[in-house]
Amino acid sequence: MTARSILTLLLLLSAPAWARNVDLSTVPKRDTVQLTIYNSEDLTLVRETRTITFKKGANPLQFSWANTLIDPTSVELKFLSNGEQLEVLDTTFPHDKPQMLYWNVQSSFDGEAKIEITYFTSGISWSADYVAVADREEKAIGIEGFVKVINNSGEDYEDAQVRLVVGKINLVEKIAELAQINAPDFSRMDESKQNYYRFSAMRKSIDSADRYFDAQAAPATRPPAPKEIVKEGLSEYFIYSIEGTETVRNGWSKRMRSFAASAVPLKIQYRYRPAEYGDQLVRMYLLTNDKDSKLGTTPLPDGAVRVFRDNGRDGLSYLASQSVKYVPIGDKIELNLGRDPSVTFELVKLLASRDEIWMERGAANTFLRVGQPGVQIAVNSWVVGWDDHEIYAQRVRNYTAKPIEVEVRRTFPGHVVFRSSLKPTLFDYQTAQFTAGVQVGQKVDLLFEIVRHQGRNAKQNNVTLEAAEIKP
Amino acid sequence: MPRSLPIPLAFIAICLCLAPIAQARIKLITLPPRERVEIQLDNPGATLVEEERIVPLIKGENQVDFSWANTQINPETILFRVIAPAAEQKLDVKVLSVSYPPNEAALVWSVGASDSGSARVRISYILGNLSKNFAYRAVATRDESKLVLAQYMRLQNLANEEYGKTEMWAGFGKEFLKPIGLNETKEMLMAKFANVPIRKTYTASLSEFGYLDQPQQKLRIPMHYVVKNDKASALGTAPLPEGKVRIFIEGTEKEKATTFLGEDWGRFTPIDDEMRLYLGVAQDIVVKRTIDRNDKIRIAGNLFDHAVTIKYEIENFKDSPVTLDIVENLRQIRTEVRGSDNGRDVQWELGKDTTFEGGPDKEKSTFEKQVFHVKLPARGADGKAEKFLHKLQITLKNEW
Amino acid sequence: MKITLLALLMIAPLAAQARNVDLSTVPKRNTVQLTIYNSEDLTLVRETRAITFKKGANPLQFSWANTLIDPTSVELKFITSAEKLEVLDTTFPHDKPQMLYWNVQSEFDGEATVEITYFTSGISWSADYVAVADKDEKQMGLEGFVRVSNNSGEEYEDAQVRLVVGTINLVEKIAQLAQVPMSAVDKLGEKNRSELRLRVAKDAMAPMAGAALGGGKAMEEKEIIKEGLSEYFIYSIEGTETIRNGWSKRMRSFEAKSVPFKIQYRYRPAEYGDQLVRMYLLTNKKEDKLGTTPLPDGVVRVFRDNGRDGLSFLTQQAIKYVPIGDKIELNLGPDRNVIFELIKLRASRDEIWMHVDGVDVYRRVGQPGVQVEVNSSVAGWDDHELYTQRVRNYTAKPIEVEVRRAFPGHVVFRSQLKATAHDYQTVQFTATVEPGKKSDLLFEILRHEGRNSKQNNVTIEETEVKP
Repeated sequence: MTARSILTLLLLLSAPAWARNVDLSTVPKRDTVQLTIYNSEDLTLVRETRTITFKKGANPLQFSWANTLIDPTSVELKFLSNGEQLEVLDTTFPHDKPQMLYWNVQSSFDGEAKIEITYFTSGISWSADYVAVADREEKAIGIEGFVKVINNSGEDYEDAQVRLVVGKINLVEKIAELAQINAPDFSRMDESKQNYYRFSAMRKSIDSADRYFDAQAAPATRPPAPKEIVKEGLSEYFIYSIEGTETVRNGWSKRMRSFAASAVPLKIQYRYRPAEYGDQLVRMYLLTNDKDSKLGTTPLPDGAVRVFRDNGRDGLSYLASQSVKYVPIGDKIELNLGRDPSVTFELVKLLASRDEIWMERGAANTFLRVGQPGVQIAVNSWVVGWDDHEIYAQRVRNYTAKPIEVEVRRTFPGHVVFRSSLKPTLFDYQTAQFTAGVQVGQKVDLLFEIVRHQGRNAKQNNVTLEAAEIKP
Repeated sequence: MPRSLPIPLAFIAICLCLAPIAQARIKLITLPPRERVEIQLDNPGATLVEEERIVPLIKGENQVDFSWANTQINPETILFRVIAPAAEQKLDVKVLSVSYPPNEAALVWSVGASDSGSARVRISYILGNLSKNFAYRAVATRDESKLVLAQYMRLQNLANEEYGKTEMWAGFGKEFLKPIGLNETKEMLMAKFANVPIRKTYTASLSEFGYLDQPQQKLRIPMHYVVKNDKASALGTAPLPEGKVRIFIEGTEKEKATTFLGEDWGRFTPIDDEMRLYLGVAQDIVVKRTIDRNDKIRIAGNLFDHAVTIKYEIENFKDSPVTLDIVENLRQIRTEVRGSDNGRDVQWELGKDTTFEGGPDKEKSTFEKQVFHVKLPARGADGKAEKFLHKLQITLKNEW
Repeated sequence: MKITLLALLMIAPLAAQARNVDLSTVPKRNTVQLTIYNSEDLTLVRETRAITFKKGANPLQFSWANTLIDPTSVELKFITSAEKLEVLDTTFPHDKPQMLYWNVQSEFDGEATVEITYFTSGISWSADYVAVADKDEKQMGLEGFVRVSNNSGEEYEDAQVRLVVGTINLVEKIAQLAQVPMSAVDKLGEKNRSELRLRVAKDAMAPMAGAALGGGKAMEEKEIIKEGLSEYFIYSIEGTETIRNGWSKRMRSFEAKSVPFKIQYRYRPAEYGDQLVRMYLLTNKKEDKLGTTPLPDGVVRVFRDNGRDGLSFLTQQAIKYVPIGDKIELNLGPDRNVIFELIKLRASRDEIWMHVDGVDVYRRVGQPGVQVEVNSSVAGWDDHELYTQRVRNYTAKPIEVEVRRAFPGHVVFRSQLKATAHDYQTVQFTATVEPGKKSDLLFEILRHEGRNSKQNNVTIEETEVKP
């Protein structure tokens, strides 16, 4: 299926550099290769070093990348040794041979030199995912983070040093600065042009971040141990560097563990938040990405979390699978396990009534009875304002083996008074929130009254909380 | 699924020719047969398979191949865990990485071992097309006071994989140890509950069950069995999962054969809740419902109260006394007398002329649904049934 | 004729799920019982067979190719040695539909009787009735029949037959569960039903001889035993019957002679259409020689002794289930000898209210003179309609007429007819008309219209109304 790609560097021996029939002397192999893979854009920086023997004078160097996804404008050549004796005079892209270029290198010495070729390629990506296994009592949870590198670039990368970048540049100023344009100009550009600059800014930024990171390159290999993944925060980004080297062949993907934390303390809460979790009470595992919780070494990149629980019979129960958004260090990790059949949650309407009814008077109508005496003056009037009163019981029954905490958020559009003794708080101007504990086997009726000012009685569009004793 | 078919062989070839140097010290092994399989059916939406295998490892890095052609396994869900080895064995085994070959339902674990030896590993994964459902079969006593309720689990295997002796667990009840053949459905008795008391109900509810004969205004009167999922009913150990319930009644001494009474979908029933099963129409209880009175009372302008009286003519042609539940939906009444539903809550009051003894059933009624009970004697010895007249007087308040 | 297969195989153990199966015995049915429901296409089949078990695992194969059996309903019970036998599980292979295996664990070597029950579709029964009134229309003879039809694909020989009267709840059609294409089942069923109707019409006229088509005793009519069970009634047919696939069989379920009845003429447009119909009213009770069974839904054919040693066919109609003790109402349709007309005698309007829209003032130019005109339009009025409900009785007997009329809107019904309210907008009154007499039943309708309309109901006023 995959066409074998050719990524070759040829040192052309003879002078007729662009001749069609060329003698070639050496095919210098890669000495090292390093991949820096970005996760929110299809972008990877490849840096490779090769050793080449130069001759005094002009050295035509051919670089070709048939069947790969390399951006030709990004290919750069640098000299890591003998830099002062070597110079790239020009770079030529022959029109009849796409995916190829020639560097015209002027050498002032005969001998070996180390060169570095960098370029951007698409087709390599990475993603994060997590496996969480709660203990039987659901007091603590073990979490493992994984990163998976997927190579569809058309090129095999063997023994590559791999770095993974988390983050995204969105700041206009940053982009403008990196792309060397005016910020106001950027804001005025259309989307495709903005994307172009955002992309080029990203490249610059990754490149510099990458070089900075090079300073702390960690050597040493201990084969039978899982590789250490070094995490480092860097301006907008977070970079994971995988210890040692990895071989990621074209078409393959590879998953490695990025961290493991055991006995992470865990809290259970039941939540009713229809806007977030749909019209149901869901069970949540709440934990925190901080040092106290045995986490907090790294922000958690976007990825799927699969949650299991020790079923106490030497096996696992599968609880849920969900995707989490980037969790910064110190922030909360909230895992929604869905509905719990052992907790019932229903809203029961106990009473409805209306009062404060206002009528608008229309014009007076006069009626005369035909053939008989009789005059009637009738005034038309119609309802224009009223208050609806509704008394509800939020009924929660707990059939689990432990007391539970339930948090309820309910949104009431319009001009509403929320009356209860539940000590509610306002989540926003039209959403009331309250919590309650429910003991094992207990049924709890959380009573509240809703007064809706309707028609001309509605003067606001918000919820007011009022402490009051509500009786069914 | 996890199978040692020709695929791993092909895989070895690819490995060797692509990276001869790197692979030199690496031994590729395919997974040996299953030692133990457990299928966890406790999650309502996903089936977790856990299998244990003993993997021979050499010191250093090992490649372990796992492939699952033609089955639905999400590779991301595959867990590989090493079961703690016996104390005397000091083998330290770790998963170094996982590689996924292109266009193939397979993966290769790179496993590091501190020494040569065998490791017991547990592989867990979520398997599609292996599902379960529940069904119930119940036999009522001749006097319809009690049931023997049998609960069955049906395991449907369309996963394209067979398992030998497999432990299965539904999240409650007992565990099963059975082989699961390729593409078959297996029905197993989960539990049998004896002496489950039943409440038999007759319901007259126009909004729920409609008319039996609309021109004559006769209501359809369904008969239900109500089973409470609690300890007092010999149940209450776990919620009852959804499933079809077929109910039979036992025979007499002479004629032992059971007779089928009807079936219904039993809804998911948490502990302490009731499972209501609609078995059939009680054709010997006749209820004619008419709106006897409908007066508008103007409060002001377009604001009205409605004085409504509903009349029920009830006859019990059965030769045993029964209790009839009369259920009225206040919204339905408003639509009947006003012609349309304005969407507002119904504000209402019960009138003095209501004849139902004891008033509405507080436990069963909600604000919009009122439930009354009527006791009806058996029909007389001459075969004639007495006609009972009942009235429900309701004032709908503040309507416009 | 397709070949059906309903087989129970005892499989040599160990080869339980193997594709090529050794079978040791094919135990035959000992007894079979059919319980047929009339409200749904459903029959409960119960059969017993004797099987020899071996200690240990006994795989049993049960297959039902070309039948209409619901696989989810098949159940195995042990009638003898039940404490030594247990069904461990039931397996349905997907590649062989219409087959299952029971995994039976036995603690003994020996024979046991097993009972297999399952639901099938394709067998049905229906009721029908023949009523023959005497010449004077005081009494009638009423016969009830049941007809069993077998289109299940399976022959049932020497089967004990039970019929269930009642409306059971089924949440899924058995025929669908049996995985037979519904289209084919439907067409087959419909064809049989229409043929049946033709035959029934002929049968109705024929004297009831020994109707049995085969099986059973030749000359004696079988008794049908009726008993109540929960909300249903069960008819058990004495002895056994053989019901072949494709055949149907009709039997008499009861016979009552000299059942007293009453004649009433009714005008109820919601029930009988816009016509006065003649009714035979009787009651399903003991003292009226009935009351042994509720009457299942079915067609009644009504005849009358024409006094010349022959019958007149009066009508044919479908009746709904009649409980024991309830009324049987047979609608014979309009009677040419009773003329029923509604004649409007007068219409008038009063209580007219004008809505004053405005006042216009006109002045003559150049000359003295002022005119004031008030513009107004009708906003409310009362309509008065005087009717006579005229009934002419050309029959030889006095008749009782009952009239129900619905009046929507805000209406007053005035008459001397001692009318009652059937519901808030329907008035009912009755009258007797002597033979050869004309009766004018006068009433006035007052409709409050426009702004005079304050209610939506009928008020009845007993007052003298003059033409």
